[in-house]
Amino acid sequence: MGLREVLTPFTVWKHVFDEPVTIKNPIGRPAADRYRGFHQNDMASCIGCGTCEAICQNAAIDMVPVDGIETRTGDSGLRPQIDYGRCCWCALCVDVCMTGSLTMSNEYTWVDTDPDAFRFVPGLEEPWKDDEEGYEREGKRVLSGIERIHMEEMPPETRISNFEEIVDGYSRAEAILEADRCVECGLCVATCPAHMSIPDYIAAVRDQDYDRGLEILYETNPFSEVCGRVCTHKCETSCAALHEGDPIAIRWLKRHIVDEVPFDRRLELIGKPAAPTGRKVAIIGAGPAGLTAAFDLARAGHGVVVFEALSHAGGMMRYGIPEYRLPYEALDRDIGVIEAMGVEIRTNCRVGRDVTMDALRRDYDSVILAIGLNMGRSTRVPGTEGPGVEKAVDLLRRITDGEEVPVPERLVVIGGGNVAMDIARSMARLQMQKYGRVGVTLTALEDIDHFLADREEIVESREEGVQIFDARGPQEVVRDESGAVTGLRTWRVKSIFDADGRFAPAYDEGDEQIHEGTMVIEAIGQMADTSLLEEALTEALEWNRGRIRIDGAFRTSEPWLFAAGDAVKGPDVINAVADGHRVARTVMDELAAREVMQ
Amino acid sequence: MEMRHLHALLKQRHSLGQLEPKGGKLAFVTVPRENLRGLLTELRDVHGFTHLVLLTAVDWMEDGLFQLTYMLNNRGRDMTLGIRVMLDRQEAQGDSIHDLWPTAATYQRELKEMFGIDFPGSPRIDEEFILEGWTDLPPYRRDFDSLAYSQQTYAERPGRVTHDPREYMKSKLYPDGV
Repeated sequence: MGLREVLTPFTVWKHVFDEPVTIKNPIGRPAADRYRGFHQNDMASCIGCGTCEAICQNAAIDMVPVDGIETRTGDSGLRPQIDYGRCCWCALCVDVCMTGSLTMSNEYTWVDTDPDAFRFVPGLEEPWKDDEEGYEREGKRVLSGIERIHMEEMPPETRISNFEEIVDGYSRAEAILEADRCVECGLCVATCPAHMSIPDYIAAVRDQDYDRGLEILYETNPFSEVCGRVCTHKCETSCAALHEGDPIAIRWLKRHIVDEVPFDRRLELIGKPAAPTGRKVAIIGAGPAGLTAAFDLARAGHGVVVFEALSHAGGMMRYGIPEYRLPYEALDRDIGVIEAMGVEIRTNCRVGRDVTMDALRRDYDSVILAIGLNMGRSTRVPGTEGPGVEKAVDLLRRITDGEEVPVPERLVVIGGGNVAMDIARSMARLQMQKYGRVGVTLTALEDIDHFLADREEIVESREEGVQIFDARGPQEVVRDESGAVTGLRTWRVKSIFDADGRFAPAYDEGDEQIHEGTMVIEAIGQMADTSLLEEALTEALEWNRGRIRIDGAFRTSEPWLFAAGDAVKGPDVINAVADGHRVARTVMDELAAREVMQ
Repeated sequence: MEMRHLHALLKQRHSLGQLEPKGGKLAFVTVPRENLRGLLTELRDVHGFTHLVLLTAVDWMEDGLFQLTYMLNNRGRDMTLGIRVMLDRQEAQGDSIHDLWPTAATYQRELKEMFGIDFPGSPRIDEEFILEGWTDLPPYRRDFDSLAYSQQTYAERPGRVTHDPREYMKSKLYPDGV
C-alpha cells in the first residue's frame, strides 16, 4: 500500500460541512413518474381473464371474486389479487394485460405491521388507485398478436359466377400463428352454446396435434366441420383479444383441425359405439339437433332411426345454407361419421305421410321431434298473394335439390338476416350465370348496424353487387295490369318497436320508394310445420306462443315425446347441436330410469 | 447519411453485415466474432466512439445462439452504434475487451453470472456479481424456469385461493354443464 492510498480517505473531510445529497427521511419521497409501484386495476375494463396470473413468474397473483362484480358474457367476474410478498415488480402482468386495465402506480412506500395487508385486490380502496403517475405500457399489448392472421378468400369477381367455396382455410403455418395469439383464458367457453373446449383445441393446433384436436372437438360437437365454416361464432364476441385487436379466429381454427384429419382417421379416432342396449329411439328430422342427439344416443349403444322428409339428411345445413359457404361434401363427412355410429337415416320418409306418430310411439322407446323451421313466413303486405312472390327457404331448398328456379333480371329481397343474405347471394350467382350481371335489391326494417345477419355476410353481399336498402318497411308488392310483379313499395322506418318493446314498426310515409324487380323474395323468418303431429296429439300437447312447450330438459308434456332444435328454441346450428346433446342426455336418463323401474 | 458513410468506410477493412438504422442517430450492425476487436478499436480510436454505453446479451435459444450487443457512443456527433456478435450457445464464450474499456469487465462479469457466457481473461470473471450462492441455471437463460424456481425457493403465505376463469364462469353461468 502506498502513501496515496493512506492519505486519500482524509481528502473527503473537506465535504464535511456540505449540504448532504441523501434524504434524511425517504418515506413520502415521490418516485419517478414511470416507477413501478403498487398495482392499479380499472375494475370496469378488467375482464378477469387471468392472463396476469398466468404470466406471473412469481405466482404472486390469484384470481378472486369481488363484491359487486358480476360474472357475465366476456367477463369472468374475477379480479387479480396480488401478494406483494412474492411480487418482484417486473410488470409482465401489465405488459400482458389483454384490456390495458392493469397498470402500476409509482407508490412504493407503505408500512404496515400486518403482513396480510400486503395481499389485496388492486382497484378497490387504495389511496393511489387513481394516481396518474406510475407504469403503464405504451400503446397496445405486444406480448400476444393484435391482428388476426389473414384468411384468403376467393375475390368477388371470381366467386360471383359460381357456387364454389369462398374461404380457403388456413395453412398449418398460418394456423399456428393464429393459435399463438390465444391466451387460453377460456372466457369464450361460456358463450359457446355447446361449451366447446375452445382453448384446448386451439392449444392442439399450436402443438400440431390434430388427432388430439379432433377428439376434443367431438367431445362437444359432431358438426365441427360444418361449424368450422358456418357457425355464428358468438364465442369470438367474448374473446379477450378483441379489447385491443382482433378476436381469435376460433371458427377458422376449428375448421383447420377437421381439414387436417382425413375422414378415415376421424372414424378411427372416434372409435366404436358402446355395446347395444336394446333400446330404440326415433328422431324426426335429420338436421343438426336431431343428428347430434342421434350421435350421442348411438354412441351410448341405443338403436337410433332418423326420419327425414327430404331426399338428403342435413336439414337447414344442406337446404338453407348455400354451397359457397358450406360445400355439401363437408356436411356429408360430418353426417358420415354419425352414420358410422350405426344411426339409420330414412330419407324421403315424411312422418304423417309415410309413417304415423302413433306407429313411432308404439315401436320406439322414445321419440324426439327435431323438425326445425322450414316454412317461410310472409309479410302479408298487399300483393304478396300470387305468382312472382317467393319464400327464401323454398327457393334455397329448390336450388339445393338442383331444381330449375325462376331467375329474373331484377329482384327484391325482404329481410336483413342470414337467410336473406343467403338467398340474395344465391340469386345473384344465378343471375350472373344467366345474364352476366347481378340485379338484386335487399330491403330490411333494421338499419344496417342492427341487421341480424353476420357482418361478413353483409360485406360479402355488397362485394357481390347486392344493393342494400336499410330501414325500409315493405308496404306493397306492386303489380301491373296483368298481375305481374314490377317492384316493391317501401316506406322509411322510423322505429321498429314501440315503447313497451313490442314489434310495431312506425314509418315515415313521406319517404316512399319503389324498388324495381319482377320477383319479390320474402326472408323475414320461418315457422315449424307441425301438421305431422295430427289433431289428437296437437290437442294433447301444451303449447307456448305457437311452439311446443318444453321444460328445461326438452321434455314435452307427453312423457314419450321430446323436442329440440329450431322448432322449439333456435336460432342457429351451434344452438341446435347444444340442444341435441341435452335432449339426448334427457332421453338417456329417462331410459335408464325406466330400466330401474322394470 | 453519416451512419451510412461510416458503414461504407468501415466495410473496406472489416467484414460487416447490413446496416440496420433505427432513426438517424442509432444503428446496428452484426460482425463475425473474429472481427470484433479490430472494429471496436477503430471505432474508438479513429471515429470518436469513445464511450461503451453497455454490453448485453440476448438468448436466441431456438437458434442455438447468444447475441452480444456492444453499444458504442460518439458524444461529439451524438451517434450510437450497436455492434452485434453471435456466439454459439453451447460453447458460450466471448472475447474480453476489458483492455479497451475497463468498464467492460463489470458487464462481462454480469453476463457470466446471468447468461453463463464466459470471457476468459476478464478480471474477477468468476466472482459472484449480484447472485449469492446461486446453484441453478444462469437465470437469464431462457430455459431457466423462473416460476418453478420461485415456487421451490419461496414459501407460500397460507390462505391463498385462486379460481380458473373458465371453471368459475361455468359454476356461475351453467353449473349443470348445459
